[in-house]
Amino acid sequence: MIMQIMKMISRLTEPEKRRQAENRVNPAFRLCVAILTILLCALSKNAVFTGSVIVVLLLRVAFLAPREIANVLGKTVLPVLFSALILLPAALLGQPGTLLTVTMKVFESVLLLALLNHSVSWKDMSEAMGEMHFPQILIMTLDTMIRFLVILGRFMGRVLEAVGLRKVGKDDWKHAGTGGILGVTYLKAQQMEVQTEEAMACRCFEGTYRSRRKRKFGRRDALYLLLAPVILTWFVYTQALM
Amino acid sequence: MHIPDNYLSPQTCAVMGAAMVPVWVISVKKIKKELEPAKLPMLGIGAAFSFLGMMFNIPLPGGTTGHAVGGTMIAVALGPYAACISISIALLVQAFLFGDGGILSFGANCFNMAFVLPFVGYAVYRLVERALSGRGEFRSRSLRAAFARGGKMAGAYIARQAHSEGLTQDGKISGPAAGGQAHSGRKHTISTIAAGIGSYVGINAAALCAAIEFGIQPMLFRDSAGNAMYCPYPLSVSVPAMLIGHLTVFGAAEVVFTVLVLSFLEKAQPELFAAGADARLLRAKGYTQKVVVRKQPCPGDGVNVTVKPARTSKKLIAFFVCLIAAVPLGLLAEGTAWGEWGADEIAQTGAGYTPSGMLHGFSFSALIPDYSMAGIPSWIGYIFSAAIGAAVLIIAFKLLSLAVPARKSSAAE
Repeated sequence: MIMQIMKMISRLTEPEKRRQAENRVNPAFRLCVAILTILLCALSKNAVFTGSVIVVLLLRVAFLAPREIANVLGKTVLPVLFSALILLPAALLGQPGTLLTVTMKVFESVLLLALLNHSVSWKDMSEAMGEMHFPQILIMTLDTMIRFLVILGRFMGRVLEAVGLRKVGKDDWKHAGTGGILGVTYLKAQQMEVQTEEAMACRCFEGTYRSRRKRKFGRRDALYLLLAPVILTWFVYTQALM
Repeated sequence: MHIPDNYLSPQTCAVMGAAMVPVWVISVKKIKKELEPAKLPMLGIGAAFSFLGMMFNIPLPGGTTGHAVGGTMIAVALGPYAACISISIALLVQAFLFGDGGILSFGANCFNMAFVLPFVGYAVYRLVERALSGRGEFRSRSLRAAFARGGKMAGAYIARQAHSEGLTQDGKISGPAAGGQAHSGRKHTISTIAAGIGSYVGINAAALCAAIEFGIQPMLFRDSAGNAMYCPYPLSVSVPAMLIGHLTVFGAAEVVFTVLVLSFLEKAQPELFAAGADARLLRAKGYTQKVVVRKQPCPGDGVNVTVKPARTSKKLIAFFVCLIAAVPLGLLAEGTAWGEWGADEIAQTGAGYTPSGMLHGFSFSALIPDYSMAGIPSWIGYIFSAAIGAAVLIIAFKLLSLAVPARKSSAAE
């Protein structure tokens, strides 16, 4: 369990350097194009558009480093299997096309978001959402949640390690202690909530996310934005095919 | 050259498949021994190049088509064993995903294109290179490329270290970086010529093998009416039919493809070029051949080098994208390659009947048959297929490289 928690924390706190090196395009534009693509995939009536997006994404994935590929593709396995399982009755009742189309759409959406998550850090993402006028309360909730997942995850890891070191042999105390660990974590969360509120007041942060740095609109941004009309045109073309 | 199902008897397919098993086993062992896990993704890149090269169909007068394979190209870049595995996987993807080449005849296709082609091509390449360069100074393209670029690359580093260790005394590797630069132009030409000749001989050897496999079918398998059960054409027809195209147009296409891709890869991804033979030689002297090297002090004697995973260069990515975008050119060639007709076509090709083995033979429905998808224009389907095939091959080999444990450097051992 300790290992699982550590694994989750390490995923949430992946090195920023790698991401920043790749993140030359304004994250807001990347988020815009990603949302547009997912929306169009959901709207598409045939598999051609979704298939073409998957092909492009797979090519993008193919040129990542092996460990990055495993990380990105690993995130798609469970949602795809789950959706395939949910839609299996449809295939058994004579609608195999539904299974294929929906599974493809799920794969495309998760793969796109996994790639976005791979190349854009959470900090940049919350900034991008602010630029795109997402509700501030939503961004703050998401931001705080991610932060607390990491902090409380580490705290729980330390508590579990301490319990593990103090106990020898098998007994029911470990199971009984689970509630205690959760209770301690809850108390810690409450304590940190107060501390966060005080820290926000000290820093005059009332929950509004503003971009600290001014990003210049560069050639890469322009090229990336060009993708939006290209994707839209391709969507219209593919919908006319069938 | 992709033999479909039911052109060869199941017995022939079984023999060819059995013949390939030891080749695959030995190739995997050799790759494990000679190729660093960090370089395994390069097998995928080689396989993807081969896959894309096979999509460019070239027409011949008379309605037949053919294509380059690129087996010698991979053999020169990564060694013949790596080429064998790369092309085998490319053929597997083609057979199962696109229905190009049969499932039963997979062993025969691998024998021709993944075994005969790269091994013959590589042997001829080495012979020609050695003969033209006189004393056989440069054992492979890798170190020649490294010499030509001075100290900028890993190969140059290894070569310098090897040179300082006196490996030149073997007559296997010679010339410091500075000296290599003076001769690099001539050596490059020699190596390119050798690769071109090797690829030409390799693809013709593979075509000859395929022709023999086709041609022996009517000799061995006939029904009660005396008709051939599988491929109806005897050796007197199949050998000239296969070789005329390969000795002329398809052979030339293989040469052009090999030379162009090798020249490009040498500039875009120089760390590709570090053949297994050199690794063995250098390891014997206490060096480990890696993609990117950094010298580190080692408790034992010699130098330990660390691995950084190879990043695919932007030039290479651009080249891949251009190749994928250009694959619809392969659709300009109308007609079917010799020996790849469907059961409904073969009677009109001159056979006069449809062999019984083809009428009631094995059939398999591929996911994307003939690189086309229902309801969309053929050129879009062709581009999709090219992209899917290339991506699947590269991803598969990259994920495979994660599964292979990193080998301890010989210096540390």
